[in-house]
Order: sequence, then structure tokens, then C-alpha cells
Amino acid sequence: MSNKIQAIAAREVVSVIRARSTLALLMGVVLVTFGIVFVSNAEPDYLPTAVDLLLPMEFLVPAVAVALGYRTIISDSTRGELDVLATYPLSVSRYIIGVFIGRAIALTVLLTVPLVIIGIYLATTSPDAPTFLATHQGVDSPLIFVRFIGLTVIFGLVVLAMTIAASALASTQRSALVLGLVVLALVVIGLDLLILRGVAGGTVADGWLTTVLSVSPTSAYRGLVFETVLSTAVQTDLQQASPIMSTVGLLLWLIGSLAVATVAVSRR
Amino acid sequence: MSESQAVSKADSETVLVSEQLSQSYGSVSVLSEVSVTIDSGSLTAVVGPNGSGKTTLLKTLAGLLSPAEGAVQYLGPDAEREIGYLPQRPSFRPQFSTLETLEFYTALVDDDPEELLSRVGLRDAADRRVEALSGGMTRLLGLAQATVGNPPVVVLDEPGSGLDPTMRKRTFEVAHELANDGTAVICSSHDLALVEQWADHVIVLDGGSVVDTGSPAELCRAHGAESLWEVFDVTIEKPDDQVAVLGVDDE
Repeated sequence: MSNKIQAIAAREVVSVIRARSTLALLMGVVLVTFGIVFVSNAEPDYLPTAVDLLLPMEFLVPAVAVALGYRTIISDSTRGELDVLATYPLSVSRYIIGVFIGRAIALTVLLTVPLVIIGIYLATTSPDAPTFLATHQGVDSPLIFVRFIGLTVIFGLVVLAMTIAASALASTQRSALVLGLVVLALVVIGLDLLILRGVAGGTVADGWLTTVLSVSPTSAYRGLVFETVLSTAVQTDLQQASPIMSTVGLLLWLIGSLAVATVAVSRR
Repeated sequence: MSESQAVSKADSETVLVSEQLSQSYGSVSVLSEVSVTIDSGSLTAVVGPNGSGKTTLLKTLAGLLSPAEGAVQYLGPDAEREIGYLPQRPSFRPQFSTLETLEFYTALVDDDPEELLSRVGLRDAADRRVEALSGGMTRLLGLAQATVGNPPVVVLDEPGSGLDPTMRKRTFEVAHELANDGTAVICSSHDLALVEQWADHVIVLDGGSVVDTGSPAELCRAHGAESLWEVFDVTIEKPDDQVAVLGVDDE
């Protein structure tokens, strides 16, 4: 990573750490995740916990990513800092990458810390905590939960990139908030509803469903969790999603969003 | 004039040129065929009434706006950062101290943040958060930011606006020191007394066009005026008691 990208990323990390809202955001994530785990009647095992957390994470992760990213670019713009930065030998793409990396680090910490604590809790309370990692189907293990955490973070990073693009497209703080909420609505329910409508209307053929599902970041995330986390322990002949297409879908959303953000800032 | 000033003036060369610059926002013409020449080691002041196109001219000269017509050419020496810029209302991330703010910018172009703070007189406020700075101190921090990397051209958009007389004078002193060190400084201002005192060259802008240009003394001589204020008074068209709005023609 170049020194300039590092400088931009470090500034983002410090900004998040020093923002008054960050602690509230962390407390919110801790309360929701811990609440789900402790209120749930499921056994304190990795697999049931991942199943319990999956649906709430489909809303919580985008909400945290949007909260963390919607003001990023627009704040620099309204402060006049984009004009100032344009006089430095710093390309717009490096600026966007730096901003993304900085916020991504913050988001990763915000999502990982509570989930790792839950993982430690499960490791110490699980009735049949294994002392080995699962390499075969049908075994519940810490690796399942680690995979779940990893996929959750990746999902968050994709939504963060989409939010940064929305922030770059916005012209005011207010429109940035509105566009951030549009991203949230699209990710949480909008794209899934479009796919559902396509299936119901016959536009999407049954054979294409697993591929089309990868177009929605949430469906792609859900599909990856089903295929790489839950299927490890629960054998089923039914394929929930295409892991490759889901990964490609998430990757395209991430790269595409950062490209949109770069173009939007260049045209300001 | 001091010896160093005399040397820098003698060695001055053109570093920035705009030729037949025109700029518009939609159907509203903001700049019309503006041609200016900026020399190194000089402080050039752009004066004119509100809405005369000063900020647009400065942003275009700084390369932040692409002209609709004409061109801006940088002719100065090779530099990592060719043009420094101070916006009209400089603002920084409030969570950072003044030193941290400059440390960030000096990570983009090599420079000494503490020396930059000392230059603008903010050394004692190095650890103070930006959100706790007064308007004047924020502007001085902006001035320090504009000089990061020692760019050959520094563009300052109303550096003294909204400041008390002492702070206003201080911003011009810093701009003058920069010019003495060989930098081409371009600044807009409404404070004609300070412009007359410190500027080497004045560009009078009205309705998006250059209506007069020269040193303060030359302008006063040409108009038989005793002060720059009198020059301003005779060169600027005053419609009546209304603010001139570009794009709106008098019937």
C-alpha cells in the first residue's frame, strides 16, 4: 500500500475512533448480537448460533455499514477538502481506495469484536466443544463460526463500498443520508424482492435462480453462508446458491461501487 | 523595499497564465475573456464586488474548474505540488489537532508540519483540536495547508474574510512573506487598504471581466486617485442600490 493511501486510510480510522457515534454503534452491534445469542433457545453451539444470527445480520450489517459510510465523501466535499486534495499529487482512485480501506478496517472491528466474543463464549460453554477443526461434513466446529464471521465481514465491506458510492454521488449531507437509506433498502429487501418478482412472473427460469440470486448482495451472502457454513454440518442434496457466482456477485458490487465513487468524485 | 525583495522582484518570472478565460454556470456567464499573468515572487490581489467572479477565477487558476473557453497554463518549475489552494471557508476534520491536520497533508507531500505551523504563528496551538480553533486560527491553518510542499503558486480565496483587523493583517503579512520567498501568491480580498499596502499587482474584476490591472500606485496614478478605494469607486459599475447579479440584464 502506498504512503498516500495509508495516510488517507489512517485518517479515516482515526476519524471513526474519535467520532462520538462510534461507541454507540459498537454498543448497538454488541446488544443485538449478544441479545440474539442469549435470548435464543438454541444450544450454545457454533452452528445453531450461526443460524440464529444469519437473518438479523442481513439487516444489522448493512445498517452498520451505511451508518459508517454515508457521510464519508460528502463531508470532505462540503468542507471543501476535495478541492484542497485536488491540488495535491493524489489521484482520485487512491483517495477512494484509502477511504474505503480506512472505513473497512473500522467496520471489520465493529463486526468482528462482538462475534469473536460470542465465539469465545461458545467455545467455553458448548456442551460438546470439539478440540479439533472440522474437515468433514456433519461436524459442528469453531471453523464454521470463523467462516460465518468472515462472510459477514465480506458482506459488510460490499455494502460499505455501495454506501461510499452513494456518498460520492450525493450533493448534500441530506441527500447522502437519503441515498444511504436507498442503499440500505435495496440491500435489505429491494433486490431480493425484484428477484422474487422475476421468479413469480416467470422472467427468471428455475434453472437460473441460483445464478440470479448472486445479483443481490444479501442473497449472495445468505447463499454463501448456506453453502460454506451450514452445509458443512447439515447434509442436503438441495443447492441453495452457487458459491462461485455469489462470490463473483459480491466482488462485482464491491469493485463496481468503488469505480462509481471514483468517477463521481472525478466529475465534481 | 528590502534587499531580498529587490532580488526576488528582479528574478521574477511568469509562472501562471490564463488566456481568454471564459466560464459559465449553465446559461449564466461568470467569467468573460479573462487574461491574466502571474509572476513568481509577487502578491497579486483580485478585487471586485460580490458576485464579480473572483472565486470562479481563483478556482479556475488553481485547476479546480475547467474553463468553458480559454486555457490556464502553469509555466513554473517542476514541483510535486504545483499550486496550493486556500478555499474561501477552509474547514478541517474537527476530531484532529492542528498538528495532526498538517501531518496528514505533509504525508501527501513532503514537508515539516511544525515549521508550517510556526510560519503562520500557530505553533502554540499545535495540540488544539480544530473544532476549538477560532475562525482566524482556522484560516491561518488553511494558509499553512495551502503552502504544504512549498508550491510555486499559492491561491488564497479571501484569506482575511470575517477576521478581526489584526488577524486580517496577519494573513496578508504571511502572504507577503511567501511572495518574498519567491512564491507567486494570488489572493482575493475586499480589504482595499490591505491590498494597497501589501499587493504588488491588482486585478480589478467586475461582471466577470477584468476592468483594470496594475500595481496599486499605477492604478491610483491612472485614475488620479489617492487610494485604491477611489480607484474601485470609479472603475466598478454600480447599477443603483441593488446587488449586481450575473446573468440578469438591466431592462
